[in-house]
Amino acid sequence: MPAKKSIDLYALTWRVPIILWQLLFFVGPVLFMVAISFFVVKNYRMTEAFEFVNWQKMLSRSYFWDSYWYTLFIASFSASVAMIVAFPAAWALAFRASDALRRWAVFLLIIPFFTSYLVRTFSWYVILAESGVLNAMLGFVGLGPFTMLNTHFGTVVGYLTLTLPLAVILQTVTMANIDKTLIEAARNLGCKPLATIWRVVLPLSKTGFIIAALFCFILSFGDFVAPFYLGGSQEPTLPILILDTTKSGQQWPRAAVVAIMMMLTLFTIAFTAIALAYRKPKGAK
Amino acid sequence: MKQNRTSNILLALYVALVFVFIFAPILFSLVFSLNSQRFPTIPLGSFSTEWYSKIWNDPDVWRAVMNSVIVSSCTAVVATTLGFCTAYTDFRYNFRFKGLYLALILLPPTIPLIIMALAMLAWLSRLGLSGQLWSIILAHSVLTAPFAMAIIRLRLHQMDPDLEAAAWNLGGSEWQTMRHVILPFCAPAIVSSLCLTAAVSFDEFAVSWFVSGLNKTVPVAILEIVQGNIDPQVNAIGTFVFLTSMTLVVLAQVFLFSRQIKSHS
Amino acid sequence: MTEPLVTFRNVEKRFADFVAVQDLNLDIHEGEFLAIMGSSGCGKTTTLRMLAGLESPTQGEIHIGGRLMNDVKPHERDTPLVWQSLALFPFLTARENVEFGLKMRGVEKAERRRRALDWLERMDISEFAERNVDTLSGGQKQRVALARSLVMEPRMLLLDEPLSALDANLVIRMQGVLTRLQKELGITFVYVTHSQSEAFAMADRVVIMSRGNIAQVGTPKDIYRAPANRFVAEFVGRNNILSGKIDTIDSDTVSITTPAGQFTAKPPAFAIQSGQDTSFVVSADLVSLSRTAPDGGNKVQATLISEEFIGSVVTLFLESADGHEFKVQMQERELLDLDLAADQSVWLSWSAGNAHILEGG
Repeated sequence: MPAKKSIDLYALTWRVPIILWQLLFFVGPVLFMVAISFFVVKNYRMTEAFEFVNWQKMLSRSYFWDSYWYTLFIASFSASVAMIVAFPAAWALAFRASDALRRWAVFLLIIPFFTSYLVRTFSWYVILAESGVLNAMLGFVGLGPFTMLNTHFGTVVGYLTLTLPLAVILQTVTMANIDKTLIEAARNLGCKPLATIWRVVLPLSKTGFIIAALFCFILSFGDFVAPFYLGGSQEPTLPILILDTTKSGQQWPRAAVVAIMMMLTLFTIAFTAIALAYRKPKGAK
Repeated sequence: MKQNRTSNILLALYVALVFVFIFAPILFSLVFSLNSQRFPTIPLGSFSTEWYSKIWNDPDVWRAVMNSVIVSSCTAVVATTLGFCTAYTDFRYNFRFKGLYLALILLPPTIPLIIMALAMLAWLSRLGLSGQLWSIILAHSVLTAPFAMAIIRLRLHQMDPDLEAAAWNLGGSEWQTMRHVILPFCAPAIVSSLCLTAAVSFDEFAVSWFVSGLNKTVPVAILEIVQGNIDPQVNAIGTFVFLTSMTLVVLAQVFLFSRQIKSHS
Repeated sequence: MTEPLVTFRNVEKRFADFVAVQDLNLDIHEGEFLAIMGSSGCGKTTTLRMLAGLESPTQGEIHIGGRLMNDVKPHERDTPLVWQSLALFPFLTARENVEFGLKMRGVEKAERRRRALDWLERMDISEFAERNVDTLSGGQKQRVALARSLVMEPRMLLLDEPLSALDANLVIRMQGVLTRLQKELGITFVYVTHSQSEAFAMADRVVIMSRGNIAQVGTPKDIYRAPANRFVAEFVGRNNILSGKIDTIDSDTVSITTPAGQFTAKPPAFAIQSGQDTSFVVSADLVSLSRTAPDGGNKVQATLISEEFIGSVVTLFLESADGHEFKVQMQERELLDLDLAADQSVWLSWSAGNAHILEGG
């Protein structure tokens, strides 16, 4: 309502409690985590301090950097796989399926996103085991058995469980919003199907695709379940490092260092990706 | 035309394959939970409800289920309240630093859960609030409020912007208008948001595991079982968890979709 | 004269840098049907919203019934509005929609139900009382919206382009319903529209707004016959506007030289002097047409360019020797009697009394 009073009680009711709540239970924890990265642990007790010892210790250890680059690599790799595997399916749903079918497909794909990732991972554990379902099926055609658990392959399968539905949804929605006449026009002008994808569809869906890839990356980068249970954690990823450091020996400050490094990495990548996604194509004014 | 047809069939097969990959773990969990084998493989063993009766008679599982029900229902109420307030504020008001205000509520899901888990654990222990059921509720409400916000904001977006002013015009105060116009209009989205935030909270394990102390929820219980060895009980619990969250998600979508269809006709 | 129901005194409304309404002075009288007309962005809707309290003026004062209303909240006013979007509550039935305002005012359940049903009956839609409003047709929704506002028994009803979503036939029907209601109830209607035909068909007085200012206030006939300035003359359309220089000024005629010839017009109410640039307007239906030159008076020779038929009324477009376009409106039957051919040269004439000098040139 326009009538101005110095304090609008109604407006504040909807605003202030949330601000306080989020400051207390979101900003508070994150800032406190930054703070404890400077605390010290003596005799298994954390004491307040402002020292760089945790940063020094963590960043000078080769196992941290091994883990850092491995996590970066495997998360990027798995995000790329998710994007590539999702593409033909999203293409089919966006251009070949009816609107109703597409809605149903998206409806179905939303479901796994809200169902227990943990149980799905455990299910993969049983499927991929040496004597598991997949090897038994391959055995019928005279193949295998393959070792799939405790490998990079296992880790990637776990990540895909998390990211593939999302990649398909985001790609489908992005491509379904493309003006179909543009594609027909390109085909009409003699553009070959693959060239049409490359020159028309991909440029038009650039923003949506980069965002989708970014989400896949963020989800894989921060997940500890897949590398732990399916990857065997021989090469620990950063989340596993946080887990181990926190759960064993109360080394929260060092875990905080790892967490902050992860967040900085994520912010840098997210920022770059979003800048790329919304950058105007070359030559456009 | 013929080439198009083969390509369509190939694409359809491919889509089916992707769906198989996505839904295989869910289906297998169900199948294994009714299978007598301790190490399930193909060919399957005999039909058995052994694992279900095992968890049925396990007081630890019951305790975990009770904890989960309490946590997810309380989380749903708190998160939906937070989400509603933010969605309404975004819909109704413009003010300086609104972007910052929205970021405050929308950012949490972009931070990996393991990091949130660590941060929550450290902060809540510092405040002396960790190790309780409601520690999980506090943390989950922050994590799930953005989903509530998104759903309710979407609903408000469908509202005729004159509707609220029309109620004032007919003599309703702002509070009366909230009660008689905004809330009824958002009702389907609110129910949908309650279901969805409950589902997310019901499945979340990282933060729960870190801050719950001895009060295990179902996913934390599963986590601790699978850390030991393969125990097909997990499939039975898992099936129960799947059915619960899937019911909630489907309900959420039904509430949202059916209203949309109605208001478009 | 009795005290006006509404007065706007030097009212201004700004949105950031944009001035929506500027120095507005207007009286609205008890029981009149006032239309506020103009193109989009002219400030008409802002004016209406200020009456409803949905915007408060940046400057100036608005009084309703003698009371200063500037900072009175919308729900504390008695100014129901019929919205362009109708803004019916989609989760309620027709009856519940009509009851809404009474419920907010704390009217007891049985009483508000009775009054709502009365109004639905009066609007001929009682059979849809228990239907969800989403299932009603455009015209039925319109009636629910009217009933919802009128059940409040206001002294004044505000209407914001309420017919713009209806098809042409229904618009005519609803115009009838609205004028009849206004006469029966004897309350003030303030009707905002961009449609000239709606405003002229229903209103007792019309306010024409342009860029936040009032361009003219008057009865439809005044505005049509004697537009006050070039903006109104052009906005109303179907007018012939001629520009030139004032030669001589007599007590009952003003002589003006234009490129199309020399003409006489009625002396205006405002001051003019010879030698000044000016324009005058003759409405298209007051121009006569003949095959031979009439004696004396204002006349000009022109060639027929095209014709446009709307029902039995025809508008002819003609061009004079200097290239000026003239419009003449007449009954189709008159045109047949004249038996014109294309490109034929004819004479246009009008009496000085029908030529109005425009203020501001």
